[in-house]
Formats: sequence, C-alpha cells, structure tokens
Amino acid sequence: MIRRHSIELALPGASIGAVAGAMAGGLTLFAGQPTGLAALSALALAAPLAFFGGLYGVLLGHGVFRPGTFGPVGLYWMAAFPVSRLLQESVAGVGMADGVPLFLAFQAMVSLGFAIGFVWMHERLMPHWLVRRAGDNPLAKDLLSQYVRYASLVRARKGARR
Amino acid sequence: MDTSNTPPATATPPVEDDRVWKAGRLEPMPIRKLPDAPPSVHILGPTVFLVALGVGMGESYMWPRLVLLFGPEIRWLFLIGVTLQAVVMLEMARYAMATGESIFSGAARVFKPLMWFFFIVAIAVYIWPGHLSAGAAAFEEITGIPWVVTAVAGLILVGVVFTLAKVIYNLLENVLSLLIGALVLGTAVVAAMVGSWSDVGTTITGMFSIGYLPSEAMSAAWFPVIVGACAFAGPSGMQQMWYTLHLRDSGAGMGAHIPKVRGLRHAGEEEEMPNRGFMFDTDDPAEMAKWKGWRRWVTFDALLLFWGVTMLVTISFTVIAQSAVRINPGVRDVIRGDDREVALTAMADAVSAAGSSVLGVVFLGFIALIGLNATLGLFDSFSRGQADMTFNFVPGAKKLGMSKLYGIFLWGVILFGIGILLFGPADGPSAILDTLAFLSTFAMGAYCVTLLLVNNRMLPKPIRPKWWSNAIIGFGAVFYLGMLLYSLFAFGVVVG
Repeated sequence: MIRRHSIELALPGASIGAVAGAMAGGLTLFAGQPTGLAALSALALAAPLAFFGGLYGVLLGHGVFRPGTFGPVGLYWMAAFPVSRLLQESVAGVGMADGVPLFLAFQAMVSLGFAIGFVWMHERLMPHWLVRRAGDNPLAKDLLSQYVRYASLVRARKGARR
Repeated sequence: MDTSNTPPATATPPVEDDRVWKAGRLEPMPIRKLPDAPPSVHILGPTVFLVALGVGMGESYMWPRLVLLFGPEIRWLFLIGVTLQAVVMLEMARYAMATGESIFSGAARVFKPLMWFFFIVAIAVYIWPGHLSAGAAAFEEITGIPWVVTAVAGLILVGVVFTLAKVIYNLLENVLSLLIGALVLGTAVVAAMVGSWSDVGTTITGMFSIGYLPSEAMSAAWFPVIVGACAFAGPSGMQQMWYTLHLRDSGAGMGAHIPKVRGLRHAGEEEEMPNRGFMFDTDDPAEMAKWKGWRRWVTFDALLLFWGVTMLVTISFTVIAQSAVRINPGVRDVIRGDDREVALTAMADAVSAAGSSVLGVVFLGFIALIGLNATLGLFDSFSRGQADMTFNFVPGAKKLGMSKLYGIFLWGVILFGIGILLFGPADGPSAILDTLAFLSTFAMGAYCVTLLLVNNRMLPKPIRPKWWSNAIIGFGAVFYLGMLLYSLFAFGVVVG
C-alpha cells in the first residue's frame, strides 16, 4: 500500500521525463534515420528520464527534496541527465565525437537547463495531481499541505491582483 | 532616521505608530512592521514573470543572429548585459520591498519630471508592436499566413484576453507557463542532442573575449543593432521598472501593506490606493534581520533564476546556432546581405540542417511563441505602469479608477499597433524590432541614473545600497548611454 502511495507521486515527474525523452524520437526520425531506430532512440531516452523524473516525485514525497527549491534538483539532474543520455547513446547513438568524459561534461551542463524546465513544469503539474490523490493517499496529502501552506502565504498577501 | 517620535497614545494595535519617514517632497511614509520573509526560497516568486519576459527575443533571435555573423566572441557583451540586469533587478527590488512603492513613485519623490520622462519614454518605446511582429514573421514561415494578419489577430487577442474575466487570464497564464516550461525542456534536449563540448567551449570562452569587436560590427549598419541587442540581454527597456509593480502586487516586503489592487477589469470596484508607500523601522535590529531575509530571498531569485535561466537558455540557443553554422557556413553570408529579413529563415534552415527539418519548425515555433508570450506580458505591464502613474499623479484620474485607466492604455497601445502594422512606415518586422531595441537602451541608461538617486537619497541609511552595487549601476548608466551616444556621434545613426 505504501509502495502504491509512493508510486502515485511519481506520475507527474515521470510524464514530464517521458515527454521530454520522446522529443528525441521525433528528432531522430526526421534526421532520416529508420523508424525503428528513431523509436528505439526515443525509448532509450524517455525511459531513464521518466524513471529519474518519477524518482524525484517519490523523493519529494518522502521529504528528501523541498517543493520548489532549485539547488538540490539541479544537482540531481546534473547526475541523472548525463546518465540518461549515456544510456541512450549506447543503445541507439551515433557515436560520441568528443569521447565519453567530454560528452558527459557537456550533458551535465545542459542538464541544468533541463532541471529548470523540469522543476518549472513539475511545480505546475504536481499540485493538481496531489489535489486529486490527497483523498486516499496520505503521502500526497502531506505534500499537498506543504504546497497549500506556501500558496496561502502568498495568496494572503497577493489577493486578487488581476 | 528622520522620524518624529510620537509614541502611540492608546493601547490599540502596537504595530501602528505615528512615526514617518520623509522621502522627497511627496507625502511621508508611515512606519510599519516589515512582514516575515518567505520561509523557503521558492521558485514561484514574482521573478518568474521577469524570467518569462527576459527569455525572449534577445536570447532566441538577436543574439544567435549576432553569433552567426560575428562569431561567439561577441557574446562578452551579453555577459555584461545580463550581469548588469541581475544587479539592476536587486536594486529595483530594494526600493520596492522597502517602501511598497513602484520605482515610478520613487522617481517622482526625487523629481517629478523624472517620472513623467519615463511615462513618455514608455509610450515612445512600447507602442511599436515589435515583439509580436517578429513572432508573427516566424509563424508565417511555418504556416504561410501573412505576418501582418497574424500580428493584427495577435494584438486583438491580447486585448480581448486582458479585457475579459480573470478566469480566462489565469487559464492563459497557466497555458503560457506550461509552454515556457516546454520551451526550456525542449531547448535543453535539442541542445543535448545536436551540440557538443567544443560548441560550449567556444560559447563560454566567447563570453570572456572582453573587448572583442570585429571591424564589421563597428559600422553604421551593425553597431546600432549590437547596442539594441545589449539592451535585449535579459529584461529589456522598462521591464525592470514594471517588475517593481509586480513585486508590490505580490506583497513582497512592505508591499504587504499596500491595499490589494482589485481586478483591473472589475470597473465597479474602485481602488483605494494610497499616494505613498510605507517604511519599516531600520533602527530596530529585529526588523533589519527580517530585511536581510527579504534580501536573501530576492538575491536567490536574481542570481539563480534570472541570471542562471537566461544564461542557460542563451547558451543552449547559441550552441544550436553554432552547430548550424558548422554544418552550413553559407548561413553567415545570407545574413550579411542587405535583406536582413532573411535572417530568420536562414537561421531556421541552418537549424534544420543541423538536426532535422522538424527542428527548424520547432525553432520557428519557439520564436512565434516567445513573440506572443512577450507581447502578452509587455502590454499588460505597460498598461499597469502607465495606469499607475496616471492614477497617482494626474489630478482627477482617481475618479476614473484604475481598471478604466488600464483599459484605456491597453486598447490605446493595441489600436496604435494595428495602425502601424497596416499603414505605418515600418516595412518589416526586423525594422520595428531594431527601433524598439535601440530606444529601450535610452530608457535603461536613464533608469540606472534614477536607481542611484532613488536608492541613495530616498531610503534610510542602513538599507541603502553598498558602494560596489552603486558602482555597478553607475557603470550600467555609462554602458547603455555611452553606447547610445557613441552610435549617435560616430555613425550618425540614432535608430538601427
């Protein structure tokens, strides 16, 4: 039961990761690669990104990360994104021109951009999902209360400004 | 502190006291308690608005274009521009958070004509539908629909959206922020797949090639464009000044004491905005501790979100442009030609060649999206800013109410924009954009001077900026105005 509760929290992050990874498939497909390879390429990136995205949601639920803070998430993706790309390149890649260390260094750099997009999306999707699940998932309920506390703090000062 | 220390006569709420802080010749600011800073550094601060606007045409269009032309070494100017903007943001926030007033009110405290100067410059700079027209041109590339049609439709859409109920606006805001998220994610994935370490290497070393200016850049044709592009590094023109309105409205610092601004389109509910903000007791160590908390909060926003996001997105876009030119060196020549309108197409084609045809469409789609997004934000902020100044400083304007003033400015700028697009002298998107960029530089130099005056003269000593911060802002004034005047006298060109 507890396991199911944790996995539910993974859904928004996993979806974001999967969609971002699937973009890679589109790129490969239109670059003139065979459909099979494009699908493989998409899957090879979407799967690890979805995994790490989901894991972030679970860790968030268990209090390892705090909602909306960037620093830890940036570090998290700095490790997770290069690993995902390495996995993709080794399964369906065209070879790394610079060699593995420089490849990883480049991916680690881009990962910070990815992390910003990820947090941005996650912060917008997660609360909606939590509202739906809070009824029968205590983990979701706890996490939602954190969001609500912050939101009411902001709302109290902000009011109906538009 | 310049306060008249009269203890409260009755035992009613002890937070209310009769002391005031006299700043300039306008109504003094009553002393109130500073609210606590947010418990955690949270990404959903008002800076998100600034980031959304900041990651705009400069990052995705103007700078990659300059990089394709002059090589990545030109980007040292970008580094200076964005870093300056981060410091400007911190200083804008200083006044807004300490008083709950907009920087326009601060300017009026120093010297009222200064505020009217910005009122006029805002109109001069922002009535041109520059952002939208470039986005619409990108849309034309994808769909074949003439850009004027898209631009006019976009303008009307903006007006309708901001005139209708706020529910629709919230929906749109959510959709737009999801699209911005997708833009950042997509840019990262694309850059990860088409770029390599050597591209980043040249991009980063390019940022530190301080002083690099190829002879071609020092020409009447290109120097004004470069000046404009510097102004477009990060939030351009008066966006930073409007940021103080958003800080106030989101209740940051003393903004919490300003009565809530009611729905701008709810004409029935009139505003009860005071003519002045508030000040906290800067002699009280507890208050100063809270102030430090607020400064930490906004510094986090400025450095990580604003500086970091802008840098990363532009590095990604430059990496894409770099790999494009590596694959098709002819792109550089196309852009060098007289017809600068082909720049957009050439860049998209180059991007297509680097990855795939779909990548070119994605690139143009991003440009179109950024154009619409920036226009939404700009027109809203413009109308807020002008309405705010009119409401506070035009006699009798309070009778009209904030919502009506907002509507007047919004529809005014929209109708003028449509007129310009249909009958105006502007012959193409890029021409409008360059004019706008160049004029913004002037506003930016002027607000640096204003910031120095406002923060150093209108705030109590303990919360005035440090010397190094003043030095950077002073440098900003010299940077923006100096380039503008140099362009004027060396090349005789006011507008690129």
